[in-house]
Amino acid sequence: MDIVNIPILKLENFLIASVQVALYDMQAIQFKDAVLQKIYETKAKGVIIDLTAMDVLDSFVGRLISDIAAMARLMGTTVVITGLQPAVAITLVELGLELPGVTTALNLEKGIAKLRLITENNADGNA
Amino acid sequence: MAMPNKVITIQSDLDIVAARMAARDMAKSMGFGAIDQARIATAISELARNIYLYAGEGTVTVSEIQQGLRKGLQVVCEDQGPGIEDISLVMQDGYTTSKGMGMGMPGAKRLMDEFEIESIVGEGTKITCRKWKRP
Repeated sequence: MDIVNIPILKLENFLIASVQVALYDMQAIQFKDAVLQKIYETKAKGVIIDLTAMDVLDSFVGRLISDIAAMARLMGTTVVITGLQPAVAITLVELGLELPGVTTALNLEKGIAKLRLITENNADGNA
Repeated sequence: MAMPNKVITIQSDLDIVAARMAARDMAKSMGFGAIDQARIATAISELARNIYLYAGEGTVTVSEIQQGLRKGLQVVCEDQGPGIEDISLVMQDGYTTSKGMGMGMPGAKRLMDEFEIESIVGEGTKITCRKWKRP
């Protein structure tokens, strides 16, 4: 099977990954591993996972998104999910998946602003 | 008059995506709105994954149905897997035996309008669900 090819871009202290295709289960797991490895390599303070192009999010991928956020948090990094479409937000809640503990923002721009705010506050707290 | 229908064989995780795309395409061509398309596609994703995880293989049949004046989309998921011992248990939110979050079956039921399970332990499971088009 093909290895999933989702570019994970670095911008200043942040990583940005935009999921553009429907992920098979194996690809979704590979994506999770790739994000965590990239956090480790780049020492990124925050990660944006943009899901604007996703028209379906089922419980498997939903759980994986929660896992990525929880695992990144253990590594000291904040994940923000951006761009959930209205239909995706509605089906997620009806499905019973409200993604507790996952930080979200309306779009990439607001996501970056939120990440800046969170990471600056963290830095103040540590000073 | 024969109504359109499509059968997808589930044998791998690739087929889960194929099944939900087929259902979504049919829902779209029937004129279901974007939110109902997402509901149908998500429900099929959950049910097809159950086939893959618990039975190994099976089929998903998506068809257009009509009852009087109303039109709907019907999905039948069939496998010859181990069957479900306690149906009321798997319909409980949060109940899971493995890889999911325990939202698959009750979640799929909430997303569709009608939902029926027939299962015989040792023989297999058949789930029939329908979504009706809003007039």
